[in-house]
Amino acid sequence: MKFFMLIFKNLRRNLLRSLLTSAGVMVLVFVITLIWSILGFLDIATSEKTSNFKGIVTEKWSIPSQMPFAYASTLENGAAREDTDEKPIDSMTWQFFIGSTEKGKMGFNSFLFAFCMEPKKLLTMMDELDSLQPGPRAELDKAIKEMEKNRQGILVGQKRLAALEKKVGDRIKIFGTNYRDLELECEIVGTFPLGRYDNNSCINRDYLNASLDAYKASKGKPHPLANKTMNLVWVKVPNKDTFTKVSGQIDNSPMFTSPPVKIETASSGVSNFLAAYKDLLTILRWVLAPSIIATLAVVISNAISINVRERRKEMAILKVIGFQPNQIVFLVLGEAILLGVVAGSISSIGTYFFVNRVLGGIPFPIAFFSSFPVLDGALWWGAAIGFATSFAGSILPALSTRSIKVVDVFSKVA
Amino acid sequence: MTDKPIVRVSHVSRYFKRGSERVNVLNELDLEVPEGQFLALMGPSGSGKTTLLNLIAGLDTPSEGEIWVGDRCVSTMTEAQLARWRNEHVGFVFQFYHLLPVLSAFENVELPLLLLPLSAKKRREQVMTALELVGLHDRNSHLPSQLSGGQQQRVGIARAIVTDPTLIVADEPTGDLDAKSAHEILDLLGILQRSLNKTILMVTHDIRAARRADRIQHLDKGRLVDQPDEALYEAG
Repeated sequence: MKFFMLIFKNLRRNLLRSLLTSAGVMVLVFVITLIWSILGFLDIATSEKTSNFKGIVTEKWSIPSQMPFAYASTLENGAAREDTDEKPIDSMTWQFFIGSTEKGKMGFNSFLFAFCMEPKKLLTMMDELDSLQPGPRAELDKAIKEMEKNRQGILVGQKRLAALEKKVGDRIKIFGTNYRDLELECEIVGTFPLGRYDNNSCINRDYLNASLDAYKASKGKPHPLANKTMNLVWVKVPNKDTFTKVSGQIDNSPMFTSPPVKIETASSGVSNFLAAYKDLLTILRWVLAPSIIATLAVVISNAISINVRERRKEMAILKVIGFQPNQIVFLVLGEAILLGVVAGSISSIGTYFFVNRVLGGIPFPIAFFSSFPVLDGALWWGAAIGFATSFAGSILPALSTRSIKVVDVFSKVA
Repeated sequence: MTDKPIVRVSHVSRYFKRGSERVNVLNELDLEVPEGQFLALMGPSGSGKTTLLNLIAGLDTPSEGEIWVGDRCVSTMTEAQLARWRNEHVGFVFQFYHLLPVLSAFENVELPLLLLPLSAKKRREQVMTALELVGLHDRNSHLPSQLSGGQQQRVGIARAIVTDPTLIVADEPTGDLDAKSAHEILDLLGILQRSLNKTILMVTHDIRAARRADRIQHLDKGRLVDQPDEALYEAG
């Protein structure tokens, strides 16, 4: 602690160099924080939970999965037939509706992707929406009640709403692109909280199903997708054992023959979705992130090496007045680590609050994730990266101070 | 001043290798300095006076011979032992002051005390005492760049005496100062010697500075040479 002031003041010796080095650390820690948040989030999404297990039921042999809606009630019960069979604690059906607010045109400002589902499941089954803070949760709950009252109600993510140039209360007409010739007339009743669902929308499944019925009535024949309308069913079970049992019930059920279905864990399902991005994620994880960390160490090493070279005489003076070689190594390491930890912390903590509170997540559309939150770990990542890279970058320059000989230094100046 | 020697240099030689050639800087040198004496070392460039000062102050080790300061043989100590010993027993005054530019006068003087097990309060007391002795207690918050050369050297002297060392070694302490400042610094060294009974070894080229010492030793080609003051003055 006695040396802290000395370390701190030495950083102010060449303020411009310290500031530029700090800026370099901040930029690189910012990029690392974004990369690790995306990778970390995907790791969480693809790792098995030990409780509140989610399973995804899809069509067994076909991509995209298109199951008849008649499967819904049986699947939501986990295909339980006997009293002793296990039932999911919760479930959710997803029907995807892709459309445009302009007939015959599909552009960034007219595109719309909606989950058609039971509105009340938003708060119990949707990742992140099931763990909202009280304020945003109350707002979403209000919008859900509105959707249940008015089945033509639609929730739109905030970025999508801005792109559509609409606001809550507006009415929109959506011309289906996957459901050709199907038009939905919706009233925007609310938005998703900023974050993961910024570019998604949600429509009451009853309205889609009613629209398909109306299509049949008006055209005299069912819509071509009428019997292929359900894309996914999510089931939530308390633990892995229950999941195994429910999985067996669904696999052995005689109800699902045309088409057959399969159930897999949510993590496994997400992994399959991410398979197409495997190379990109591998490069992010094993090439880009390590390269940035190495660059960070080199930046710090460069600054500290210059610093040590400029101050050899001063370090010799410290040795003359009694500082041990290890104490001088400690002073040099201390300068590098103080700079790295402070700059790294400012960067990662700043990134955490700016990206999560202002931007609403990292805009990186991949699979069905449109944006990623900066993970809580970022609050300490900057300090850890700053510490590790500054230690690695400064250890050699610091150790080089041990070889400074006081006699040599004086013979040059005397 | 007592006759008891505080510094004993016994048959000390120091040589360096330059390729296959051996360069002798000090040859079989013997010297005793009584406690409380102010000794000036003079000699032409390359005569070995700074090397001798370095050896006595524990900054270098002799190739042959022994050096005792008080009851410690400094020529056989390890680097770590020497560093600790220098901190407690030797005060250094340099020609170019060598203050740390980012630290205030107070903090520069406090530096050697950071290595000792002292409380912040005790350190403050000792630093202020040292600064008062050199007449700069009112400039304790000034950075070196805000002080004149003479004032910086006085801070350097305060740093040298703050640990109450046995020995003060000064390498050309007036070499970078104007005549008035040099005079003040020599006065100060004289006061430290007389009032605090400090033993002072000073290397200088300046006969006027050397004349302020109790004794002058002249070095030539690595050996001590007896020479009258007047001859030295003319040589200088």
